[in-house]
Amino acid sequence: MTASVTPRIVKPSAAADAAATLAACARDGAAVVIVGGSTLQSLGNAPSRCDVAVHTGGLCGVRDYDPRDMTAGIDGGTTLSEIARVLGEHGQWIPFDAPFAARATAGGTLAAGWAGPRRATYGRPRDLLIGSTIALADGTLARAGGMVVKNVTGYDMSKLYVGSLGTLGLIARANFKTLPLPGARRLAIAPLAPDLRERAIAAIGGLAIEPAAALVLDGFARIARYPHAAERLVLLFEGSEAVVERATRDLRSALGRAGIAETLLHDGDAAAQTFAEIVDAYVDASGERTLIYRSTGLPSTAWTRTRTGEALAHTHGLHAESIADLRTGDAILRFSARTVAAFTAKIAAFDAGVRGAFEHATVLAGGAALRASIDAWGTVPSTIATMRAIKARFDPAGILAPGRYVGAI
Amino acid sequence: MVTSLASRLLEALGPDTVRSSPEDLAVYAYDAYSEGYLPTAAVIPRDAREAALAVRIAFECGEPVVPRGAGSGLCGGAIPARGGLVVSMVRMNRILELDVRNRRARVQPGLINLDLSRAIAGHGIFYAPDPSSQKVSTIGGNVGTNAGGPHCLSYGTTTNHVLGVEYVDGAGVIHHTSLDDSGYDLTGLLVGSEGTLGLVTSVDVRLMTLPESVRVGLAAFPDVESASEAVSAIIAAGIVPTALEIMDKLITGAVEAHYHAGFPLDAGAVLLVEIAGPRDDMAAGEAAIARIAQTHGAISWRSSADPQEREALWASRKGAAGALGRIAPNYYIQDACVPRTKLPAVIHEIDRIAHDYDLPVGNVFHAGDGNLHPLLCFDRRDTRAVRAVVEAGTEILATCIAMGGTISGEHGIGYEKRDAISLVFGADDLAAMGRVRDVFDPHRLFNPDKIFPTGAVCGEVRAPAAVA
Repeated sequence: MTASVTPRIVKPSAAADAAATLAACARDGAAVVIVGGSTLQSLGNAPSRCDVAVHTGGLCGVRDYDPRDMTAGIDGGTTLSEIARVLGEHGQWIPFDAPFAARATAGGTLAAGWAGPRRATYGRPRDLLIGSTIALADGTLARAGGMVVKNVTGYDMSKLYVGSLGTLGLIARANFKTLPLPGARRLAIAPLAPDLRERAIAAIGGLAIEPAAALVLDGFARIARYPHAAERLVLLFEGSEAVVERATRDLRSALGRAGIAETLLHDGDAAAQTFAEIVDAYVDASGERTLIYRSTGLPSTAWTRTRTGEALAHTHGLHAESIADLRTGDAILRFSARTVAAFTAKIAAFDAGVRGAFEHATVLAGGAALRASIDAWGTVPSTIATMRAIKARFDPAGILAPGRYVGAI
Repeated sequence: MVTSLASRLLEALGPDTVRSSPEDLAVYAYDAYSEGYLPTAAVIPRDAREAALAVRIAFECGEPVVPRGAGSGLCGGAIPARGGLVVSMVRMNRILELDVRNRRARVQPGLINLDLSRAIAGHGIFYAPDPSSQKVSTIGGNVGTNAGGPHCLSYGTTTNHVLGVEYVDGAGVIHHTSLDDSGYDLTGLLVGSEGTLGLVTSVDVRLMTLPESVRVGLAAFPDVESASEAVSAIIAAGIVPTALEIMDKLITGAVEAHYHAGFPLDAGAVLLVEIAGPRDDMAAGEAAIARIAQTHGAISWRSSADPQEREALWASRKGAAGALGRIAPNYYIQDACVPRTKLPAVIHEIDRIAHDYDLPVGNVFHAGDGNLHPLLCFDRRDTRAVRAVVEAGTEILATCIAMGGTISGEHGIGYEKRDAISLVFGADDLAAMGRVRDVFDPHRLFNPDKIFPTGAVCGEVRAPAAVA
């Protein structure tokens, strides 16, 4: 946030208070930034103004949860780890797949439109969302959906607020479908030598049991380590014991045929922990000399796009690390320079290079100095006029995170 | 104005694409709902460009535009309630692109749902949403209603399988949306909007890998309540089958007489359970389900891994409503959805209500989702029965809402339930939806008189609290 003054902090304790706060701000023309766990505030551009920070921490709790219905009504400010704890007691979960679960909130994860590497298996958080209550800038509370898992009663308004980054309203309450926790979890890490890489990636595509996530990591030396391997294949298997066992056997023989003899395995909590560290890394730009982009696209091109990123880094004298998601098509591209000044000097040309190389690339995180001169969103979608009209209709005073969103919304 | 719409369309698109004589238009007056209205004209475009041109002309003439797929919708979503132009998608029925490796396809909206899965099965992939109407209903219509089907218990509904759409706005401009795009989720808004936000001209769908193994089990229970309790227990045990369907005795009898799929006729209810996934999970899953069925009073249990037997069971389940023709000349099907633990209580209430109104009722429903389809049997020629059906239907909806449910799980609101939506949503909720409508369709010409209550100001938005 580049607000000129320290914003006033408001922490509503009920959905109606949140709506009243937004209405008061709209009346006063006070710019509002909605804050959950501050784990994904790096998404989008810095708002042009911020007079009031509305914290959702007072809207907290798993309110309406009958495990037999496999649905849960959750207040927006509830942390993902609290949700995991409450649901876990009943053998259930919601695969948010988001970074820093101890601080991240349900509302924030939705507002950020977060979609992690397990979405090819479980769907995005948006796909598990079955209802919502939103505090709007005119002071009203608007509900959509409900507490049933199938619902076509009216527009699917909940989806509008997912990914809106606090520019349309505040997610006071979100109702989700829950899923049964997988009985077993295993993370397999295999080294990828350049000459074996293509065969290995092809072998993964042919596995009878699809991994919950399939990533190629290059760099990120401190997470999901494999001794002496910069580039490694990381596969997450989730399911029954029997299925995970067979998946491991199938994987080892498939990789063996591709010339890769060794695979490192992490089970249970260790697998979950290591996988969480990978997801955290998506938005961890600690230090001012780093910039992380996410390029979305076809799964078949994810790895190639990481190579394009590597080549760009080379051209501009930057260091690149990457994650290619073989199932979702995401390419996470992390660029860093030796010093902030060294990166800042070439940021404009470099960002232009990124924009030229990737159809869809957005900034996930990065040093403030680097971000000051670039737009986080890159390509403006062709439907931007419709999006601007939606913004004008929901936030006519333009007080909600002004300038943060795509196309300067 | 009437002549001007038809003549302008004819001039722009030619007689092969445009219909304007009353006898030609009669087929576009109705869908599977009871009421119908004659449109002013109909077009059958071959591609998005022709569709866009037709929309632009209709809007310039101030005439509504109503999209039409197979016309199989049960809630009047495709009837031209205010006349105007019907855009029939029957000619836009091709798979435009298929990307097997990336599990996606771009299809035209007139493509029949089942034709898509049939066309791609050879690649080991499928399109998951499978409404019971899938032999006739179109992908475009499915997108309009966010259609479900028996298998959305584990696979989700249409909206979970749409990656983007192409749509035409009122100016006749073609737009693309994609989940890959930055910005608001216009794709998510358009799916389920029942043609009120624009005319969808192509759909990017997500495809899935066919499961390695599939088993279907059939349990017979003394009554619907015990079958419903078994459903809750299966879910509570951490098993999410791909489908959990219940048919009561009335339905089972009609279905068996028609399809001879081998349903037990002595049971009060049958539960159809499908599990799918890696073969390693099949035996344990099946055993667990059989055990739960037994402890909840199942009279019999059998299961099959044979694809043909499975097909026969599903074909008869999906044909259940049609088979009711054996029992009564007409039936009225409802689509309420409740939290699944409320199923036994709701079923009990539905029985009571039907009994009070002296109407035979059949229950066939997506039990795993809590999505009910009570079928009230009647004879349209009997005015007393028609009145009873309407009143009983309203009472059933009110009961479901009181139990935490909603009025439509998968069929849509359409024309039929546009007033009932006020039972679920208040003015503020509907006003938020109205704002979206304002943006996409300020003139209210895309499929008017659908979803939103009649005479309500839901489309109007109150003046925002004084803006500084």
